[in-house]
Amino acid sequence: MTTTDNTTDQPLEGGAVLSFSDLDVKFNTEFGRVHAVKGISLEVKPGEVLALVGESGSGKSVTSTSALGLLPRNATVNGKINVAGKSVDTMSDRALRKMRGDDVAMVFQEPMTALNPVLTVRTQMVEALELHGKAYGTDADAKAIELLRMVGIPDPERRLFQYPHEFSGGQRQRIVIAMALSCDPTVIIADEPTTALDVTVQAEILDLLRSLKDELNTGILLITHSMGVVADMADRVAVMYKGDLVEQGSVHEVLMQPKHDYTKRLLDAVPRLGSRGETPPVAQTEGAKALEVNDLVVEFHRAGKTPFRAVDGVSLSVSRGEIVGLVGESGSGKSTIARTALGLIPAASGEVAILGEDITQMKRKPLKALRKRVGVVFQDPASSLNPRLPVGDCIAEPMEVHKIGDKKSRRDKVAELLDAVELPRSMANRYPHELSGGQRQRVSIARALSLDPELLVADEPTSALDVSVQASVLKMFTALQEEYNFGCLFVSHDLAVVDLLADRVVVLKDGKVVEQGDRSQVLANPQEEYTKRLLMAAPVPDPDEQRKRREDRHRFLEEVGESEHGLHISPEAPSRKRSVPGPDSGAGMPGGV
Amino acid sequence: MSEQNRDSAMQGSPEPLPHAGAEVDDPKFADKSYSQGQLVRRRFFRHKGALAGLGVLLFIAVLAFSSIGIGPIPGWWDKDFSTTGTVVNGGKPTMGWFHLGEHPFGQDTTGRDYFAMVMRGTQISLVIAFTVGIVSTMIGTLIGAIAGYFRGWAESLLMRVTDLFIIIPLLVFAAVLGRIAGDSGIFALGLVLAAVTWTGLARLVRGEVLSLREREFVSAAQAIGTGHWRIIMRHILPNTIGVIIVATTFAIASAILLETSLSYLGFGVQPPDISLGSLISDYQTAFTSRPWLFWFPGIFILAIALSVNFIGDGLRDAFDPRQGKDG
Amino acid sequence: MTRYILRRLAISFGVLFVGSFLMYILTINSGDPLEDLRQSTASNRDVLIQGRIDTMGLDLPWYERYWGWLTGVAGCFYGACDLGTDQSGTDVLSMLQQSASATLRLVTIATFAAIIIGIIVGILTAIRQYSGFDYVVTFLTFLFFSLPVFWAAVLLKEYGAIRFNDWIADPQISVLQAVIVGVLLGFILQGIMGGDMKRRLFTAGATAVFTIAALLYFTYVGWWRSPALGPVIVILVSAAFAVGLVALIAGLGKKRVLYSTLTTVGIGSILYFALQPLLAEPNWWLLLGLFVSAVVVGLVVGYFWGGYSRGQAMALSAVTATFMAGMTFVDHLVYAWAGFLELKPRPISTIGASTPNFQGDFWETTLDWGTQLILPSILLTLISVATYSRYTRSSMLETMNQDYVRTARSKGLSERTVITKHAFRNALIPITTIVALDFAALIGGAVITETVFGWKGMGAMFREGLTHVDPNPVMAFFLVTGTAAVIMNLVADLAYASLDPRIRR
Repeated sequence: MTTTDNTTDQPLEGGAVLSFSDLDVKFNTEFGRVHAVKGISLEVKPGEVLALVGESGSGKSVTSTSALGLLPRNATVNGKINVAGKSVDTMSDRALRKMRGDDVAMVFQEPMTALNPVLTVRTQMVEALELHGKAYGTDADAKAIELLRMVGIPDPERRLFQYPHEFSGGQRQRIVIAMALSCDPTVIIADEPTTALDVTVQAEILDLLRSLKDELNTGILLITHSMGVVADMADRVAVMYKGDLVEQGSVHEVLMQPKHDYTKRLLDAVPRLGSRGETPPVAQTEGAKALEVNDLVVEFHRAGKTPFRAVDGVSLSVSRGEIVGLVGESGSGKSTIARTALGLIPAASGEVAILGEDITQMKRKPLKALRKRVGVVFQDPASSLNPRLPVGDCIAEPMEVHKIGDKKSRRDKVAELLDAVELPRSMANRYPHELSGGQRQRVSIARALSLDPELLVADEPTSALDVSVQASVLKMFTALQEEYNFGCLFVSHDLAVVDLLADRVVVLKDGKVVEQGDRSQVLANPQEEYTKRLLMAAPVPDPDEQRKRREDRHRFLEEVGESEHGLHISPEAPSRKRSVPGPDSGAGMPGGV
Repeated sequence: MSEQNRDSAMQGSPEPLPHAGAEVDDPKFADKSYSQGQLVRRRFFRHKGALAGLGVLLFIAVLAFSSIGIGPIPGWWDKDFSTTGTVVNGGKPTMGWFHLGEHPFGQDTTGRDYFAMVMRGTQISLVIAFTVGIVSTMIGTLIGAIAGYFRGWAESLLMRVTDLFIIIPLLVFAAVLGRIAGDSGIFALGLVLAAVTWTGLARLVRGEVLSLREREFVSAAQAIGTGHWRIIMRHILPNTIGVIIVATTFAIASAILLETSLSYLGFGVQPPDISLGSLISDYQTAFTSRPWLFWFPGIFILAIALSVNFIGDGLRDAFDPRQGKDG
Repeated sequence: MTRYILRRLAISFGVLFVGSFLMYILTINSGDPLEDLRQSTASNRDVLIQGRIDTMGLDLPWYERYWGWLTGVAGCFYGACDLGTDQSGTDVLSMLQQSASATLRLVTIATFAAIIIGIIVGILTAIRQYSGFDYVVTFLTFLFFSLPVFWAAVLLKEYGAIRFNDWIADPQISVLQAVIVGVLLGFILQGIMGGDMKRRLFTAGATAVFTIAALLYFTYVGWWRSPALGPVIVILVSAAFAVGLVALIAGLGKKRVLYSTLTTVGIGSILYFALQPLLAEPNWWLLLGLFVSAVVVGLVVGYFWGGYSRGQAMALSAVTATFMAGMTFVDHLVYAWAGFLELKPRPISTIGASTPNFQGDFWETTLDWGTQLILPSILLTLISVATYSRYTRSSMLETMNQDYVRTARSKGLSERTVITKHAFRNALIPITTIVALDFAALIGGAVITETVFGWKGMGAMFREGLTHVDPNPVMAFFLVTGTAAVIMNLVADLAYASLDPRIRR
């Protein structure tokens, strides 16, 4: 086993529990060979968190999956992979299966789909225990209950027999982690374990993962794209870019003094809370506001049940030329408000006035005329453009619908808009599937601006983008806002993005407004507990500052009477701290209950 | 493509199929992007079964229509399907490896040329099948699109009619209707059969439309004030074209079988017109004495249905390599 | 859940009602019911016509005729069924009693056979995606999809019945024939089993040699005309089944489950001998009782052996017990074959649903039944197998790509467990909906099949009724098949609910 030239900031006994040397992965696809990982070397030591960072397509997930031998059949793998002293690449299928779950366990990104929907949690937990000979029958049940309690599932005796759909997303991720823990693996690979979760839930899950390495001395390979998560969790960091490892080192080295250009660019692109400082509040203009929502209630009707109230008495307004950030976690109703403001969802009561006209009671004709003055940008670059229309037609569509100009003037306008969103004019003839995610969102913005709107509704326009792409799109967005001076309702779950962009902020929770006011006031000096909680849970890409924030957060949670979210190990249980495999013992397999 | 999609595609499927252009960020792939149409053609022409099917179907169609002609236009075959004559050599087929002879498929008991009869049956069966395929596709697409987009009455109608076909076998319903329309000619029969076979396609289109209308480009179109019909025609239907074409193909294949089955039962094409089904019905008892009377029409039905099915399979792979469901 | 089922039932009966109306109106308008009489040259033509007008109520307006039919049907709810008469005055209800059982038997057998075979083939092709086996099966399914039933039926009659009957008169298998069959079987089996070249060769070779030897041996000892399985084969096959089942579902590591199923086989072997006298001349109720007690024995054995995996042990032992009971049943049937051949020298029938005036004991009568049923069943099954296997294949491929399957693999589960436990159950969910849709198609197929095989079943009733524009037989057909379809739907709904906990309430 060769050790790469990195230094670590904590003394380690023993060798690596997971190592890759000269790993090289290629995929044969319909469109030729894709070189996903180009000869990288990495290692994870016991009780250490190595964060593997990179943007989409950097090959980080492929790297981690290769450790379990779970790559698809069309992959060609070269190089050495070692797990707990065993060489994965020469292993038989049977040995490989024994290793999975027992030596190395995996936590996946999407907790909603990672559990089998038709089997109870018990079945899914017990099968791993029985397979690896850890416990059988009622013993296995007891062990599973203990594991669920450890990861903080309340009432585990009852909930063990429930099905996955009866748990929330955060709880499911806890169950996945409990499953990963069940056989005391030497190393856990967590592939974007918090990406699909809300920021407060993310903080809890990260607390849980952190306690794993502290309490159980497990090595963790954490794959993530979020620099905040890295700062919060990692001991060491490895940065991947297009299949290459461009930088590796301790979390302080990489985050505080990045050497490689790409790392620098990546870090610069991360939006940081509080980096914008004080800005003068935007003067509230007289006359009709761009958008005014009063006492809005939106309900969704479900067959045979009481209607679900997604938005409950919300009032907010957007002045002309002002950006209002609408923030909240999933299910807070923020997208529903945006869609109601666009007239896509009917309001149950209350009023929604665009440029002074109430659209809830409006007839079709005048509504269409009003819609001419409103632009919209949605979240998902994969579905925001009609795949059958060339980009130019997509952008010209609003002009065609409202019969503005002739063919030629439309074409000119499209070219002008493409310039504005910093895309080459030749792109007008390409189809959406030929564009990258960032390019597609730029096209969406160009389409939204094609009628010079006075109000723009942007529903999470950058949350599906890589951070470097997000940064450039946001920069362009700000510039365009200054140029076109539209009022904007900007929906986002990311406080840092809102902080960067908005003049005022509205915080939503469960369909109700928790707090609203000027950006600097709400985000720098929050008054409500929920806002504080949100702010504290958002990680920043600076390990020292993040540690301080984390401690602040734990203190705050204690004050409001909530326990910690780490492992819950009952005091009478024997210490689960494992002995560290010595350098010569290769794979000491201790700790099996 | 977003982070999630990319990574799950990489790990999840045994064969990751990146969409064209997924790698555009990578300069290496920038020149390697294909348009939707190119991709479809590429995949279709790689499907050998579909190509063979296309060849066989074209051959049969050309043979059937050129040999005995269409209506007043005469073909290259000099015999007529209704003229009786003397039975030569027990009516045995005269076809050899490289020559057709006087009666390539033999003669029936009244001395009619069986080749001409089979060609006539093939013509009629093809015309009916394509009529059914095209008309039922139009009805199905319309109702499916309305049901999926507007929900409401169209959706209720579609669901109830589907329920009806769960209870009344299609064949039974078609038999009753075929009994009514059989005398009014083959186009009437085709239309009647189309009236009972559109539901499958309508459900398929409805499902597609239901998922498409949740897509953000449709929401965006609605938000800028695009009219409903424009959204359906410009944004939704063009995106279901693959599903529709594939389903139409399979509808044609099953229409062939439906029509021949009805004609076999006596509720389809009525004499003096000839269908491949009625030929089999007439001569099934001749299997031991004059097997050719039984074999030829059956093989033609099988060849047509099989080649159309293979074309459908090729089209399905071409339009959506991930989708493996039966249309 | 109950509400959901009740709602579905209510909708189904509503649709049944609307369907009956539609069918009635369409049928009475589909032609001229007096056509044959109008062309008749009989001297009493007018009397005949008037007679038919009276029997069929042709002088009444359509709504009165329909109402008359409807009230007759409503009588069925209080035991006074009246389905009217056909045009010659025969009571439709009594016609129905003769024909319904044959058709429903055919359709039910075909449905279950198609589900079981189709799902197994579908899973195998999904697991061996893009293998030679997959391609061959894919081609065959397309062939079955494209096969005109009525045409294939005639072929099956020729080769499955007439030629077989000729052969069984003096069953000979030449060495060449045995070799061809053996090699073919070996080739197919290696495709299914897969593996590397060496393993494939071994599979193919072993299968071929075994098959050839068995075929020649059977021919030599005259097994084809007087076959027998005997206790040794019954017990060995059952034990092999038990081991295979445990290996497939639970894994051989679970010793208690294995012991439990083997104990079941042991008890079954004792019962095999103990029950011989009772089974010499049984009846269906006795057999049903024995089947149920076999399942109970399996459950009890599983309960006591089970330990920590009690549930699994009970389930698998019960399945083993059922299998063994089935084997015993087949053993008796096979034993009766020689006697049956004496009674009926050309065993496979091409016409009719039962041999007229057939006299034999219980086993021989059952064999007669079976030989009548086998060809139409094969035909109907083939076509549905194509649907089910294609659907299962794509459904399996889809679930195999799900995240939870990846999770299961990352736990270290074997491919077998991943497929049987994680992928298969999820793949079954969409298949249940196909069952309901396909049932109607099967009934449609039955109409054709019955015509070809000359059964006096429901299909014939429908066809003759429609030909003579005679609504009552047509409506009787509709009533029975429609109700059967509603029940099948209900079964599919229940299966759906039991498979998917998300809709269970």
